Amino acid sequence: MAHSLDPGAMLAKIRQAHVTHVITVPDTHQRTLLGLLAASADPQLITVCTEDEAMGVNLGLFLGGRRPMLLIQNAGFYAAMNTIRGLSLDARVPACMLIGEFSRDPAVAPADHKSRLVHLLEPTLQAWRIPYRRLDNADDLTAIPQAMDQAWRDRGPTALLVGAPTAAAA
Amino acid sequence: MTSLILRTQAVAALARARGDMLTLATMQAVEPWNALGQADGRNFNVAGCMGSAGSIGLGLALARPRERVLVLDGDGSLLMQLGTLASVGGLRPGNLYHAVFENGVYETSGGQDVPGRGRADLVQLALAAGYRHARRFTTLEQLDEGLDPSLRTLGPVFLSLVIAGPGTVPVPVPPVPSKATQIENMRVALLADER
Repeated sequence: MAHSLDPGAMLAKIRQAHVTHVITVPDTHQRTLLGLLAASADPQLITVCTEDEAMGVNLGLFLGGRRPMLLIQNAGFYAAMNTIRGLSLDARVPACMLIGEFSRDPAVAPADHKSRLVHLLEPTLQAWRIPYRRLDNADDLTAIPQAMDQAWRDRGPTALLVGAPTAAAA
Repeated sequence: MTSLILRTQAVAALARARGDMLTLATMQAVEPWNALGQADGRNFNVAGCMGSAGSIGLGLALARPRERVLVLDGDGSLLMQLGTLASVGGLRPGNLYHAVFENGVYETSGGQDVPGRGRADLVQLALAAGYRHARRFTTLEQLDEGLDPSLRTLGPVFLSLVIAGPGTVPVPVPPVPSKATQIENMRVALLADER
């Protein structure tokens, strides 16, 4: 597994997925990607206070005909689960989430991690039947447009687990 | 002589003033809003996720900057995601109108006081968070005089509607499609407008 992901390559994949807005509660793992997004108007970066709010803004943008995605942290995913249930699963609204694995040591497999933040994430996604893909290496980044398309096709949430920090921007 | 406001009266005043606004209704406002025929293709009833109406309104206002967006919210609901005030105030969409029915209680669970009842001032919180305009309405006379101008003011606008009781909802209440169908209907209508 790589020890960092290329934020420029991630942004290119986000654009390839025709994302219009990225809604975030900032995530430590993805700080350099957030820096690139903040410096660019395409897609538009929207920062809100909580992941519950992020899900609401996602629904509102979708209602208005836009194509948003979310950039959050594993702790925020847990915090927003009832809103994910109400505003994505029940309402059948696409919600593609980039989820940074805060506390993850890239050298340790998630299931072997002592931190519940890390080792409970995949079982939780499985229990909720939320499709997910791992972003551990450069080759994995093709999953970004795939997860976006799946969220839109299935009208529900999908997750992209960012297992390594994004590298310093070139 | 002044007259206190019932929820049904406040909802009726918003319906009269609505025009072509996109609308989001939640909590106790939904039934009277539906009864007045307002649950059309430009409305979404936010049910099953208390606290989310304001943030959905923010997203819709950002997505449709040329349309005015009206949110019918509750005080207990807003308090669940109070940070939304700061998010709205920071992004400052000029087309967002956030009406909050203030009765000071959680009505459906038995009338328990909301936290800060009588002390936490939502109008002052909204202004401090960055809303351009905020006003409290406590009488029907104030609603008659001030609602239309407030809905013509550059947003984000925060309107506190202090209600003295629920009022009587006219019957029958027309049936409303499922959440997913309401969402799809609004999307189709708005995307058709773009073409």
